[in-house]
Amino acid sequence: MRAAALSYLALMLIIPLLVIFQDGLSQGLAGLWQAVTQPVAWAALLLTLRTSAMMVLINTIMGTLTAYVLVRYEFPGKPLLNALVDLPLAIPTLVTGVMLVILYGPQQPIGAWLERTLGWRIIFAPPGIVLALLFVTFPFVVRAVQPVLLSLDRSVEDAAATLGAGPWTIFRRVTLPPLALPLTSGALLSFARAVGEFGAIIIVAGNIPLRTQTAAVYVWGEVESENRFGASAVSVALLAIAFTLILVVDLIQSRRQEGGGR
Amino acid sequence: MSIVLEHLTKRYGGHPVVNDVSLEIADGEFFVLLGSSGSGKTTVLNMVAGLSGVDQGRILLHGRDVTDLPTQERRVGFVFQNYALFQHMSVADNVEFGMTLRKMPAAERRRWRDELLELVGLVGLGQRMPRQLSGGQQQRVALARALAIKPDVLLLDEPLGALDAKIRIELRRALRAIQRTLGITTILVTHDQEEAFELADRLGVMSFGRLLEVGRPEALYQRPRTEFVATFLGTANLLVGRCSADAVQLGPVHIPITRRLDSLSQPGNAWPHPGACNGGAVRAAQRVQVLFRPEDVVLASDPDTLAAPPFGLGQVEQVVFSGAFQRLRLRLPPLAGVRPIAPPVAFGDDTIYVEAVREQADVDRLPLQPGERVWVGIRHFHALEHPGLHFLLLTDGSPQAQAALALGGQLARLAHARAVVLGYGLQGEAMQRHLQQAKETLGSGLAALDVRSTDDPPARAVQRETERQPYDLIIMGFGQANSLELAESMLQSGEHNLLLAPRAQDAPTHALIAVTTGEPGKDDILFAGRLVRHVGAQATLMSVVEQADDPAARQRAERFLADGIRSLEILGVPAQTAVRSGVVSKAIAHELAANDYDLLVLGTPLADREGRISLKGVVGQVMSEAIPCATLLVRSTVSSYREPVAIDTVRV
Repeated sequence: MRAAALSYLALMLIIPLLVIFQDGLSQGLAGLWQAVTQPVAWAALLLTLRTSAMMVLINTIMGTLTAYVLVRYEFPGKPLLNALVDLPLAIPTLVTGVMLVILYGPQQPIGAWLERTLGWRIIFAPPGIVLALLFVTFPFVVRAVQPVLLSLDRSVEDAAATLGAGPWTIFRRVTLPPLALPLTSGALLSFARAVGEFGAIIIVAGNIPLRTQTAAVYVWGEVESENRFGASAVSVALLAIAFTLILVVDLIQSRRQEGGGR
Repeated sequence: MSIVLEHLTKRYGGHPVVNDVSLEIADGEFFVLLGSSGSGKTTVLNMVAGLSGVDQGRILLHGRDVTDLPTQERRVGFVFQNYALFQHMSVADNVEFGMTLRKMPAAERRRWRDELLELVGLVGLGQRMPRQLSGGQQQRVALARALAIKPDVLLLDEPLGALDAKIRIELRRALRAIQRTLGITTILVTHDQEEAFELADRLGVMSFGRLLEVGRPEALYQRPRTEFVATFLGTANLLVGRCSADAVQLGPVHIPITRRLDSLSQPGNAWPHPGACNGGAVRAAQRVQVLFRPEDVVLASDPDTLAAPPFGLGQVEQVVFSGAFQRLRLRLPPLAGVRPIAPPVAFGDDTIYVEAVREQADVDRLPLQPGERVWVGIRHFHALEHPGLHFLLLTDGSPQAQAALALGGQLARLAHARAVVLGYGLQGEAMQRHLQQAKETLGSGLAALDVRSTDDPPARAVQRETERQPYDLIIMGFGQANSLELAESMLQSGEHNLLLAPRAQDAPTHALIAVTTGEPGKDDILFAGRLVRHVGAQATLMSVVEQADDPAARQRAERFLADGIRSLEILGVPAQTAVRSGVVSKAIAHELAANDYDLLVLGTPLADREGRISLKGVVGQVMSEAIPCATLLVRSTVSSYREPVAIDTVRV
């Protein structure tokens, strides 16, 4: 039993990881560093981190708000809306990209209007990437915060109110603090997910080096042009980022458990 | 007055959970609201704190009308059952939370915080996190936190409910001491009677959203005004009897109201004056409920050594050792015309049970074993006014309604019921004339008669009436096109029984009580029995079995009916039984046609999950045939607060 499970883990996870690390490091650390910092790759990595960070910022605020509304308010269609939150997990990300192009494309009414009146270009530009990432990672923060919010005792907020706290003070000083850890872990998970996003971005942002090419798209380009080492090097960088984030999330989860059942 | 509540009402889904509660609480008073769960006591507290909106009424705190103020501005300290501490803050930060919001200077804040922690007995624990404390300690923190803002009033919502028995008693004492020290006006909500007795300066008992009685604990225990409070507080022996100028009469047993009795009972708790029950004048031979507590029962081996007026020769049914005391349950033979209310008597059982409690010294003097016979005396008792029945008579001036009015008036007169006539569906002058006429025809001989009119649809008007005052029986005409729907809506608008009058008739002389065997059927028999007893009619108890050739079902039905007959006999109703077979509605119609019945009693179908009651089944089928006489639809479980049958007695 145990041997089978461990072998399976090795076969499916560890060996592929080892292989790509080996490939990426085949020209030494200096070679790896050079491959990652060459202008096109570096720009792709920076764009990836920038758009992902932007997404996390928006998602943290709006995801918390969504979870709060879903937990605390009753309105018609709430169960349906609650189910819809998970939909992005099931939709092929390519389809996500297509949806956004149809909505915001320069030939479409909204996209054209935004570009004409506000000068905002969405599709084939970084904002499109952020939108795609927001769509794809929508469930992460909501689903991390929601159960904690549900388990919070309403009487704690009532207690704060009797002590003289207004709604905003109650939210900031009473409701939010217990949400900090789950919120962080949800945000980090969505960041990790965003860093590797490919399907939606390739449709929405295209593949313009130095401008709209993200790291994942860059890797794909390198594979297409049979530059295996370039692909492996940036892949290793992406893996390192993801790996670190997952470790931090794990740490947070275990701290929450130590925090006791309350 | 620190806290004044004026006619507070709160509805959820149209149903009142707090119903016209008025209360005044003096400065520094420790007031306890006692009630079982769902009685509305916590909602009252939440309304005072502003955590729950007020539908009607006003709340004044120290003369300040806070009804429309948000919680934040009410200056109330609130302690919750589950502590509701801020888990991510230290004990000190929890206590200081309200002070920082009030911009109290840091030095003063720390001083007051330390003072409070000392007051609640948590010195040196300020830096702990809440989860590092025991439940009792957490509740002390919650108390300190509530007191930190120097609130005008302190509100405690079952603060000891989540704690172990030992901690609870400890914290109860601490709570009382702290309240005394600070002299802060306090309301505590609890379902724990012992807690209420120990803490309360004054006590209010709530049931079904109503505040039934308010008074000092010992006064409520010894001299309750309502049946509910009599049976809810402590263990009660409660019997329906009569009260005359110089004696209480329980069937053939006279228990004199004498000087000797007065001197035997504890000072201040004596039977007030001959001829006075509840401070109100008692008419001769008035029906009363006679209450005596287990500690008021004296036992002796022969009547001459009994240190109190004898009640009868009983048999020991049960002996329970409970520490310093011995509890006994005694069984006495039935007394004609005496209806036991508490302890409740099983269906079909016609004995009277008496709960007694003795000190160890008495146990040594007269050891008793189950089965032994012993003389039972009553040292001290209290008589409550018998609530009597309340009728609501509906009328829209139609011939059927006229018939219902006439019949209802007769029944009310015979049953000494209080009656309210509610007119609907008539306009201005016509309404006035009709009600005036109704008043004149019904007026004489009624215990009380009120006349009201409404422009609302009858169902809504009746719902509002029953919220103000629960009724035992609603009487309306029957036979118009929408009568069945109207009857359904009447049943849905409260917990009352319903009497449908299809035509003019005299007061019933022979009732057909058609029952299903089983629990609902018992209620049918009991309420119908009370009504039939009042009008002096006889009854036939009928049950219908599906198949004629099912001897087991037939036997079951016969056994059940035999029990029913005995219950009716206790009430003083002569009755016979009948078991028929076939389709229920057909069998009933056949029986009605074959004999001279003038009242049909049927059980009301149970409400479905949405609370709707449908009469389309047996009731509708029976009613669709030409019904020759008035039909009484009896509620399966009448849970109005004046029916103590459904309420467990709580032991002190």
